[in-house]
Amino acid sequence: MAATSDARLQLHDLQLAQGNRTVLQHVDGAFRDGAITALVGANGAGKSTLIQGIMGLLKPVAGRVECTVPKERRAWLPQQLPLDLTFPMSVEELVMTGSWPSHGALVGYCARHYRKGREIMARLGISHLAHRPLGELSGGQRQRALIGRTLMQEAELLLLDEPFANVDAETVDVLTTVLRDMADSGVTIIVVLHDTDQLARLADEVVVLANGHAHWTSTEALLQGQTPRSPVAPLALGLTGTHAC
Amino acid sequence: MLTLLDAWLLAPFDYGFMRRALVAGLALSLAAPPLGVFLVLRGMSLIGDAMAHAILPGVALGFLLAGFSLPAMSLGGVLSGLLVAVLAGSVSQMTGHREDSAMASFFLISLAGGVMLVSLGGSSVDLTHVLFGSVLAVNTTALLLIAAISSVIVVTLAVIFRALVVECLDPLFLRGQGLHGGLVHGLFLGLVVLNLTAGFQTLGTLMAVGLMMLPATAARFWSKRLEGLIAIAIGLALAASFGGLLLSYHLSIPSGPAIILIAGVGYLLSALVGRHHSLMARLRRRAAPLGAPEPH
Repeated sequence: MAATSDARLQLHDLQLAQGNRTVLQHVDGAFRDGAITALVGANGAGKSTLIQGIMGLLKPVAGRVECTVPKERRAWLPQQLPLDLTFPMSVEELVMTGSWPSHGALVGYCARHYRKGREIMARLGISHLAHRPLGELSGGQRQRALIGRTLMQEAELLLLDEPFANVDAETVDVLTTVLRDMADSGVTIIVVLHDTDQLARLADEVVVLANGHAHWTSTEALLQGQTPRSPVAPLALGLTGTHAC
Repeated sequence: MLTLLDAWLLAPFDYGFMRRALVAGLALSLAAPPLGVFLVLRGMSLIGDAMAHAILPGVALGFLLAGFSLPAMSLGGVLSGLLVAVLAGSVSQMTGHREDSAMASFFLISLAGGVMLVSLGGSSVDLTHVLFGSVLAVNTTALLLIAAISSVIVVTLAVIFRALVVECLDPLFLRGQGLHGGLVHGLFLGLVVLNLTAGFQTLGTLMAVGLMMLPATAARFWSKRLEGLIAIAIGLALAASFGGLLLSYHLSIPSGPAIILIAGVGYLLSALVGRHHSLMARLRRRAAPLGAPEPH
């Protein structure tokens, strides 16, 4: 456990259930501020359940999630985002919705907000797509736009579920750089990953979910097959990729 | 020529009842189309129709108890519309059936109940007025009520606009911000019911939904942007209200069907010659060559 008692996101003896089935229990730990923590585990190990618990969408059966990040600074991008792609909205407008939670319902966006939106799109390499409808984007372009929204939101806690699934290699590079920059600026990032190469490239720490429990470990330790307190071998965690395990 | 134009376009509005009906129509044309645009975008085009039937028993009860009084009939309409929405929602939650099947069942019951109530207490002329509207019935009280309801709808829509857009596009983002999508959705449906009750005086309960939906569906052929859709839908609704009232006056037909028919003509024309996805646009469509400037 990489426990720092003043971390913005801490779990205390957390027990989460889906219906009557307990998925995770006695989860204790803290997510280090400004670090990228990877969540790994086989299918059904409770990765999505833990994310729902952290986002406050699933009420704990026992224990608690202590999160000092305000709601408007939390962002979650699930793998299957229920995004209505027929909705008439351009990339720029999607990015701008990120500022709505902190900006309020009535105040119009000023030039400063649009400037920031354009800077974000440039950083993600999607400036040329600013006016393109969302329905006409590729998977990678859409993922960049969605990360753009979290940047606009000035998210301090970012949860990502398989952000690199179905996206092109260039997008993976761009997003890896952006996520690292975000973490360096103090954002706490939690990311579900299955690929050991991406894990090695991105993650500072790893939380292994297995048998209803969570174990904190370092990326190096996991990749070298040393998973302290975890009786499960890395391959059984659903990890794939060319990086040595 | 000018005299003819004057006789056709302006002279009818020398009458007070026509002026009041026009103002009522214009007020409704500002409030209804934006609601219709969101209903279309959410794939709920037929919900407006169902809600229009749902308000009928309340309108009929108001009519039976207080005569042809718009405030009483509107109150009845709002209450029965909201009741049906809540009942349909509850039945679908309790039984696990889809909400549209519960809504379909309730709106049919409402329609039959409403027609029966009106028939019990009034003549067939009254029934025609309630179902299809009558410009003659728009007195100053009615006009004030219609204007007030339309204003409430426009202001409320402005307040919940961003939340509504986000809820349509990505409900999860809204939930993540601690705002329950159901709240925004419920408020929006409430506005739909309010708008229908405001509209039935000039358009009738069955036709009121037309001014909401037809301009919105027609606008889809002209714009791909939300603001564009709303602006075009409002423009079409304004034109339909003006043209429909004139048609109703000159041909002595009920105002509701006249207004909606003009809107319907607008829809058909849009489907034929509109900029996007219309028949003509499909015939003309050529893929832009690589390197061509991005269409905005």
